[in-house]
Amino acid sequence: MTVQSVRLPQGTLGRLWHSEFAVRFRRNRNAMIGSVIVLFVVLVAFFAPVLAPYSYEETDLLATWAAPSADHLLGGDQLGRDILSRLIVGARVSLLVAISVLTITLSIGILLGMIAGYFGGWTDALIMRVVDVIFAFPELIFAILVAAVLGPSKLTVIISLSIVWWPGVARLTRSLVLQLRSELYVDAAIACGTRPFTILFRHLLPNIVAPLIVRASIGVGFLIMAEATLSFLGIGVQEPEPSWGGMIRDGLVGLRTDPYLALFGSMALGLTIIGFNLLGDGMRDLLDPKIRDR
Amino acid sequence: MNAVVATEARTAPLVSVERLTKDFPIRLGGLIATRASLRAVDDLSLAIYPGETLGLVGESGCGKTTVGRLILRLLEPTAGRIRFDGEDITHRSEPQMRPLRQHIQVIFQDPFSSLNPRMRVRDVIGEPLRNLGMRRNEIEQRVAELMGIVGLPAEYMTRYPHAFSGGQRQRIGIARALAVRPRFIICDEAVSALDVSIQAQILNLLADIQRQFSLTLLFISHNLGVVRHVSHRIAVMYLGQMVELATEQALFTRPLHPYTQALISAVPEPDPEIQSRRIALQGEIPSPIAPPPGCRFHTRCPKAEERCRSTEPVIREVEPGRFVRCHFPG
Repeated sequence: MTVQSVRLPQGTLGRLWHSEFAVRFRRNRNAMIGSVIVLFVVLVAFFAPVLAPYSYEETDLLATWAAPSADHLLGGDQLGRDILSRLIVGARVSLLVAISVLTITLSIGILLGMIAGYFGGWTDALIMRVVDVIFAFPELIFAILVAAVLGPSKLTVIISLSIVWWPGVARLTRSLVLQLRSELYVDAAIACGTRPFTILFRHLLPNIVAPLIVRASIGVGFLIMAEATLSFLGIGVQEPEPSWGGMIRDGLVGLRTDPYLALFGSMALGLTIIGFNLLGDGMRDLLDPKIRDR
Repeated sequence: MNAVVATEARTAPLVSVERLTKDFPIRLGGLIATRASLRAVDDLSLAIYPGETLGLVGESGCGKTTVGRLILRLLEPTAGRIRFDGEDITHRSEPQMRPLRQHIQVIFQDPFSSLNPRMRVRDVIGEPLRNLGMRRNEIEQRVAELMGIVGLPAEYMTRYPHAFSGGQRQRIGIARALAVRPRFIICDEAVSALDVSIQAQILNLLADIQRQFSLTLLFISHNLGVVRHVSHRIAVMYLGQMVELATEQALFTRPLHPYTQALISAVPEPDPEIQSRRIALQGEIPSPIAPPPGCRFHTRCPKAEERCRSTEPVIREVEPGRFVRCHFPG
């Protein structure tokens, strides 16, 4: 492959580029395609103010429901706002929500999951029953419930998705810790006087990060989708701030005659989710020792 | 090895267990799950004196590893007492145990599972030191010193365990056990997972270290040949019970329990001139869930009589320092 023939200067960056993991990463088609898409979306979101040709709230009556043209590359929405600009700015919201929720749920889920798996007994029972209760509700119901209390906003989306999503992380972490609990190095650590929380963070956590990374990267796709769903229902991001879910909702009314708003919104959403899922699939293959040896 | 240490050192034992018993709850499958318990260790008493190596042998599943884990307090005993240096540690909580952990260390059987794959050798060996609050540069110095003792180049300390062979990993495990200058080390099948040639190296290393640091060892193994090589006294276990305890010399010259006799007859002799009378045991080791009534060994014992089938023999001291659990010893 051509990518591998690229020679980088020696040094840390060069070592990283030529490391075993990097080489295998470049050979993995899913991981490569996924990371290119993800990188693209991240860059777009980061440079949104520079990239967007118009302001996302600037209305242009002449461009109402406009088809793509030289002025408005992807056309205009029901208020004549530039769809491309709104998509670019909307990427920020999607990523912001996904990353916030991921940070919160990974912190809570990993901590509680490790505690449940390691200590067992009533601690485990208590945490897992809470998890079961949350699992018992459909996630949208939960989000609507939170929205009813807090009112619709970005924060509502983040809070409700966090509540719905941490139990899955906790369950996964717990099962990973249960597998490791019987490893002799854990006994060895206890026998030499290591404290329980040191065992959790120094011994167990480094051995479970790989499956958690996979879970996280696939999770981003799910979270972006969930945010779009909530914004679609009007619980999430509020006008005039753009969000992909909200744009799809607004575009639906004119789907037959002027499909561009819903179409491009869906495409942006679909592409991003595919990107994160491909990256997650690729990471799972790369980090799974059973597949790695092939 | 000589038995002098053991007999001369008849002072206070460093470690002693009294009537130690451990039941594991088990669930028997089936349409209606029934609860039962498995007695892994049954009424076991023994004392380990300072400076000696006590060998603990038995077939796999006889409870010898459980004994080690009970003394380490990795498992809670069902009944009985564990004393260390005269102090009762049976019911100490984990935080109360922590200061004592420095004196009691362990070397595990599996040199692969016993080292965390994501930790550098420096951190593996340095972990007990870190727990004592030692500073980083002090730890590094001590780790280098320890690696020298166990025969590993100190520059390997930044490597990960997967870069080492089984024997080298076992040396890392030994270095970790030695790090805090313990008084007592439990070697749980410490050489069983290694090639025979490496076994000898590790056994010699253990013997050297014991002399150098005047350590007390509990050496757990299923391999009587290995145990003989390192132990001053040997305890033989069968189905959770101790059936014989004697000095190494006494046990090998005149085993009293039929099980010990059978085990010794099975140790391979390198000299073809020696006529070996092998006592082949019939059948399998019975299930510890439902041990046979009477003497637990009677199902496989060549000498079993009616009394063995009905009455369980108690362990008794037949000669000073020599214990046997048999109705018809000798």
